Amino acid sequence: MTPPLYIALRFLTHRKRALLLSLSGVVFGVAIFICTQAQTQGFARYFIDSTIGSNGALVIRSRFRPRYEPLMVSAKGSKAAMGRRLYFEGITNPNEIMRVSRQFSNIVSCSPVLRGTVSARAGFENATVDLYGIDPALHAQTTDILHQLINGNLMIFRNNTSSIIIGSRLAELLQAGVGDTVQLLAPNGEFWRFTVAGIARAGIGSIDATRIYAHARVAQALLQQPSGATMIIYKLRDPNRAPALASRFETLFQHNASSWQEREESTLQLFLTLRMSVAITVSLIILLAGFGIFNVLTMSVLAKIKEIAILRSMGYRRIDISLIFLWQGAVIAVAGSLLGCSLGALMTWGVSHIPIRLRGLLYTNYFLVTWDWRHYAFATLLALIAVFIASYVPARRAAQLPPVVTIRGSR
Amino acid sequence: MNSQICLSCKGIERYLGEEEERVHALRGVSLEVEAGSVHAVVGPSGCGKSTLLYILGLLDLPDTGQVAIESKSVSHLSDDELARTRNKFIGFIFQFHFLMEDFTAQENVMIPMRKLGQLSDVQMRERANDLLEAVGLGDKLRRASRHLSGGEQQRVAIARALANDPRVILADEPTGNLDTANSDRAFELLQNIVQQGGNALLLATHNPVIAEACDWIHEMKDGRIIASHPRGTRGSIV
Repeated sequence: MTPPLYIALRFLTHRKRALLLSLSGVVFGVAIFICTQAQTQGFARYFIDSTIGSNGALVIRSRFRPRYEPLMVSAKGSKAAMGRRLYFEGITNPNEIMRVSRQFSNIVSCSPVLRGTVSARAGFENATVDLYGIDPALHAQTTDILHQLINGNLMIFRNNTSSIIIGSRLAELLQAGVGDTVQLLAPNGEFWRFTVAGIARAGIGSIDATRIYAHARVAQALLQQPSGATMIIYKLRDPNRAPALASRFETLFQHNASSWQEREESTLQLFLTLRMSVAITVSLIILLAGFGIFNVLTMSVLAKIKEIAILRSMGYRRIDISLIFLWQGAVIAVAGSLLGCSLGALMTWGVSHIPIRLRGLLYTNYFLVTWDWRHYAFATLLALIAVFIASYVPARRAAQLPPVVTIRGSR
Repeated sequence: MNSQICLSCKGIERYLGEEEERVHALRGVSLEVEAGSVHAVVGPSGCGKSTLLYILGLLDLPDTGQVAIESKSVSHLSDDELARTRNKFIGFIFQFHFLMEDFTAQENVMIPMRKLGQLSDVQMRERANDLLEAVGLGDKLRRASRHLSGGEQQRVAIARALANDPRVILADEPTGNLDTANSDRAFELLQNIVQQGGNALLLATHNPVIAEACDWIHEMKDGRIIASHPRGTRGSIV
């Protein structure tokens, strides 16, 4: 142990109240930072997982007409029209697109979907629903539908073309359970009867309240659509690379392709804003803790002014004196961060067990948290920086104290 | 003076304060201290005794003049090198003990040794125990320094000044804060250590009895050494 560290530890442990004050500031700052980040990111992560699990990480939709920009001559004042794309509904040759796109290493699987909006009726209840015509096997590979089933069985749905899977909130709305009949209104005014084979809960209110899955061919007939698929959804190995792949697919297939980041941009921005806001608030707590440490160490320098002078007279260098106070800050920062991380983990665990009944944007019965080592690393880094800055000024001041002035003044 | 000069200064000038409060504290002071001798600097308050000690102890820098330790000038040394030299060659004793109050007597004595870094922890502890035994505090090794009496604290300060076996011990009125009994005991202790160890002792004092017992007495007035006498060659100091 170096002499400055030895002296620093002694100074710290002999001022227990000041140590406790400084330590508690760091501990609570770090712990609250971790806990709040775990919560805000927990909800965001749940939303992202659910939306990717239900709608895929990447979706190809309508075909657009290729634009031959070098050949185009714009009329005066028609700049806006130049940039506009002309879309055609549906996917042209979905099987070929899927075959080619499977060659990409980031693609795990893909599923064609025929999507349309219809009215549903069960008993006396009516609702406007989002009908997804799917291939059950491909869709089960591409999405989390299998895990989302809270009632019923995918096999029953797969083997019965006149069966459907409905969202959990829609089931509540229509008061329909597994085995019940739900009627869907075709564009020609006819009602088609389906048996509920399963009830799925994606965890996202907008999906659970509107979605119905039917067999693709049945949906095509019901919706009277010429195209076999209006979109293809993809499961990716690395969903974070979805924007780049979407851009590539647009060029390659001349179809509109959107990543989950683009699709959920507004909600993600909301989560990000919330997270940033909480992070700023909690960072202020850590900075306040740093300010507390600054005060404690400044007081310590004033209280130890004679000791500093005598240490200098015994041959301790200015850097040694600085180190004595920097070590005190470092010990507080390290011990505070370790304790703060432990308390943060404990608080996060505790918060994740707090019952909460959310049935709006997300479906959950408990607070959602995420366990991410980066929260701990960032909180620790923040604490270390705050404490270093807080200790640097008193340490520098201590080193600059001329020993002779102190010794003369003590006579 | 002989060739075993361990501390010397030549032509030291030192001004203290700024502008109107500027004082010419030392005016061309020259001095030589040889190993194994005890020197006293006497004079009225404000004559520059302490300023001279701080400059000789490398705690303060002269405006002009040179300080040499073992005939080597220290004028060119950096602040860090001066600190290292202080740690190795010089032991300070002040009027107020200036012990580190969060440490025990033993730990206080070990603090300069820790900085020097030449002994193991066990060796440092043993040396601290020996020094505290020598100053009569063998039974109070682990007592917190703030729980010692004034005389005991000053004896710990003496032991601490000797921790690294310095060539020179500089004492600024070491007995000024002690009663007569403790004062005599502390001085005897210092004398014995110098005689046995071959160190040099330079002390500033107002105590005529102590001054008379030193090998050399240097009289200061208005920042100058006006006279230097070997023991017994000078009339009694008022």
